[in-house]
Amino acid sequence: MSRTAAGVKSKKLHSYYDYSLLFIILFLVCFGLVMIYSTSSYNAQRIYGDAMHFLSRQALFTGAGILIMLFVSRIDYRIYIRNLPVIRLKPITLLYLLCLFLQIYVLIFGVEINGSKRWIDMGPLGRFQPSELTKIAVILFTAYIVNLAPRRLDKFRGFLRVVIFIAPLLGLIVVENFSTALIVGVIMVAICFVASKKKGYFIISALIFVGIAALFIILFPYRSERIRIWMNVETEPKGYQILQGLYAIASGGFFGKGLGQSMQKLGFIPESHNDMIFSVICEELGLFGAIALILLFLLLIWRIFIIAINSVDLFGGLVATGVLAHIATQVLINIAVVTNSIPSTGIPLPFISYGGSSVMVILFEMGIVLSISNQIKGEK
Amino acid sequence: MSRSRTYNRRNIFIVAVVVMLVAAALTVRLGYLMIFKSEDYAARAKALHERERAIKAKRGNIYDANGILLATNKPVCTISVIHAQITDPERVIQVLSKELGLSEERVRKRVEKVSSIERIKSNVDKEIADRIREYDLDGVMVDEDYKRYYPYDSLASKVLGFTGSDNQGVIGLEVKYDKYLNGIDGRILTLTTAYGVEIKNAAEDRIEPQAGNDLHLSLDINIQKYAEQAALKVREQKNAKSVKLIVMNPQNGEIYAMVNVPEFNLNDPYTLLDEIADDYEGQTLSPNKLNELLNGMWRNSCISDTYEPGSAFKIITAAAALEANLVKLTDSFFCPGYKKVEDRIIRCHKKGGHGSQNFIDGIKNSCNPVFMEIGARLGPEKTYYYYDKFGLFDKTGIDLPGEAGSIMHKLEDIKPVELATMSFGQSFQITPLQLLRAVSAIINGGKLITPHFGVSIRSADGSYIKELDYPVIENAISKESSETMKELLEAVVYDGTGKRAYLPGFRIGGKTATSEKLPRGNGKYISSFVGFAPADDPQVLAIVLIDEPTGIYYGGAIAAPVIGELFDNILPYLGIEERYTEEEMKQFNAGSIEVPDFVGKSRDEVKKLMKIYEFGEAYTIGEGDIVIEQFPLPGEKVNKKSDIILYYGGQNETRSSG
Repeated sequence: MSRTAAGVKSKKLHSYYDYSLLFIILFLVCFGLVMIYSTSSYNAQRIYGDAMHFLSRQALFTGAGILIMLFVSRIDYRIYIRNLPVIRLKPITLLYLLCLFLQIYVLIFGVEINGSKRWIDMGPLGRFQPSELTKIAVILFTAYIVNLAPRRLDKFRGFLRVVIFIAPLLGLIVVENFSTALIVGVIMVAICFVASKKKGYFIISALIFVGIAALFIILFPYRSERIRIWMNVETEPKGYQILQGLYAIASGGFFGKGLGQSMQKLGFIPESHNDMIFSVICEELGLFGAIALILLFLLLIWRIFIIAINSVDLFGGLVATGVLAHIATQVLINIAVVTNSIPSTGIPLPFISYGGSSVMVILFEMGIVLSISNQIKGEK
Repeated sequence: MSRSRTYNRRNIFIVAVVVMLVAAALTVRLGYLMIFKSEDYAARAKALHERERAIKAKRGNIYDANGILLATNKPVCTISVIHAQITDPERVIQVLSKELGLSEERVRKRVEKVSSIERIKSNVDKEIADRIREYDLDGVMVDEDYKRYYPYDSLASKVLGFTGSDNQGVIGLEVKYDKYLNGIDGRILTLTTAYGVEIKNAAEDRIEPQAGNDLHLSLDINIQKYAEQAALKVREQKNAKSVKLIVMNPQNGEIYAMVNVPEFNLNDPYTLLDEIADDYEGQTLSPNKLNELLNGMWRNSCISDTYEPGSAFKIITAAAALEANLVKLTDSFFCPGYKKVEDRIIRCHKKGGHGSQNFIDGIKNSCNPVFMEIGARLGPEKTYYYYDKFGLFDKTGIDLPGEAGSIMHKLEDIKPVELATMSFGQSFQITPLQLLRAVSAIINGGKLITPHFGVSIRSADGSYIKELDYPVIENAISKESSETMKELLEAVVYDGTGKRAYLPGFRIGGKTATSEKLPRGNGKYISSFVGFAPADDPQVLAIVLIDEPTGIYYGGAIAAPVIGELFDNILPYLGIEERYTEEEMKQFNAGSIEVPDFVGKSRDEVKKLMKIYEFGEAYTIGEGDIVIEQFPLPGEKVNKKSDIILYYGGQNETRSSG
């Protein structure tokens, strides 16, 4: 920590702020808004009589999210693991308890949509999904626990200790939302993986995880049905949405039909502005546009990677890794689902898909990553 | 990072690499979908987006021989609703049920049904459709369409036929020439959303409809009208079940008229005629029964029903015997009023017999024993040889659907009794048209023609013309036999049983017939007459069949005059000039008289009246003392010196041919 302390004292040193990351984020967010308008205007007009209905709501949340991101990026990220002055509690502990409370609350009082209780009604602000907030909590909390005693992670028991801390949150999510639980799990494992010197037990736990997953699928026919749909997407009636997505992707060809020219968004893909938005991007912008978007995401992940390996302390590096894992998992699972590479599960495409809490949480995380980059002292 | 930066960095790098690898794999998958699967999936997606809307092709018109329209199209509209576009369902329901005269629930059901497009009513008149269009209701579509329309309603209904809602022929010529009349529907390919709403300006493809070709017939509307009038008149006079009348050109088989009264209204073919419906008043008809009645109403009996041709068939027997050289005109016969065939006594229609007569007299008198005799001379094999030559075993090949074939004995089953009855047209059945075809061959010099209506197929703009050909089989009979037959048949009309068809100034040939319907003895007859003119060069051949006349039923008495009257009308129309012989001039130029009412008069009273009126000869039939029926009917205008037939009350005549 001595070098860092010295850096803070030396005001002459240039403070690094990853503007290229900021630019990528802003570009992605704006591109997302364009695509949301393109995909949702038809349905918005049809249902609400206002083509801008979804766009304006999303723009509002995105605007708020950007402000939050810029604010958070100026706060030193280490404040989350320091004791607050009066109540003598760390913000991370408060956040952990808040998430625990909200997760329980949502299971009891949540709004049920499509058979799942995942949302808390916030009145005019729309609906809030506490599992999104939990993602931030898990990133920060895992990094915090690991950072307390990084060497313990070299042993399986150390990893288990982390799992025990995260288990309550994970358990509460998995009841209603398997895919989010999966992402939270991946984030946790990724952080532990980075901190650990030994890798053997990861392979063992990976095997155990696969075993549990297999058991899960057998025990819950709801899951195995999804696998059947995945294998026979063209014949299963419930594969309709995925099949429509495939039609959209395939009709895009090399250069697509042009922005706004999608046919499949005209009611063929239900809620095309949500999880299936990537298929419409493929249809309108073609393979060219789709690869450009994937490259943009990889660029974003590359920037976060750079920040992670250059962070001034382990905590920063672990948090950045968590964010990286979060974004990467969502992007990859989303694209994999849309291309029917894995069984379908509802995960939004970060920055692009419609959803207020999703975009705000992601921008919050970006704020933290920018804050980590802000602490790196460049030589220039 | 303060601690062991290298392995932390390496671990983060591993995570990043894993991410990149998965991303690369997904990109490959994406590329596979978008390049190799593109065609397949895109085609399937396109099939999902495209809606094909047919543009109906105009069906071809049907014209008569003079180019007068007999069947054409009338613009009508189809009203449909698009559920997703309706903004004010209540008003739509109210307006449509009011304008289309449909019940509100019915319209409501269609309007509220969640479907891409729902048809409310088709075949809506254009004016009503225009009114609906003016309401400018969201979600209500008015599509223009054509409906088949027959300007002359019931004229030649069973010949022309009509079309169903899908514009396909249901009966008659409309069926037979469907493939020419039907155009090729055009198409508009439009893109629609998942809710079936058409995307404006996205029409991808438009294939113009191709109108059907027009059909030109030999049927002549004027001759058809005359024939129909004549048929209706005799049907009413004789209170007959139905009357059939066919007028044909015996030289080439072109049919000028084909009447089956009662005819039905082609513009309303699914409504039973009043006279049929009256029989079932107060009953609810089951769908099957209704269907049966409708089919009966549409049936073209001229070609679909067979009957025993009776004495008219003596033409065929005579022609065959002449052709086979088995009879000479001078051969003498003796008719005692019956002929014993094996153990059966078969009677002549004249109880007392015709006595001694030659062959000419035999045919003029329509003497059954004469024909039984020459039938026997022919024998079964020769008989069937000539039947075959005259096409009696085949359908005529007329260009109408539903033609019936003949019902004949098996050759090996023909015993002398069968042979005898066949010689004067009993114990087998043919269609009227088959008889007409055989007679054509006998009087036209031996050409077995194909009766037909269709003459040519033409496109509306004249760019396509197809003349229709029909098979003709030559040498059914020699020219000489044909000439002889024409003379014989002219004699039948001039002073034989067919004289009621005689028209001064025209040479007319023909043969009468009275067929008793099966089972025998039920008192139901078909009275008929086959006639042609001019006898030396036949240009027109006609047959009339009066089904179940009441009262007098002899073909010579009631059927022959129908053809006489018809020929009086149509021969000048066909450009056949009157040529009076000197004798005729003397006899018939004396003016006309109105026939008085003889019915109820005694024989003495009749004698007195006959002195006042200038009738030719008075034939009296029956044994009673009071006139019960007469022909011509009272009040009719006839030429002076015309004959009159009086029927005296009393006993019924035995079965006979007339």
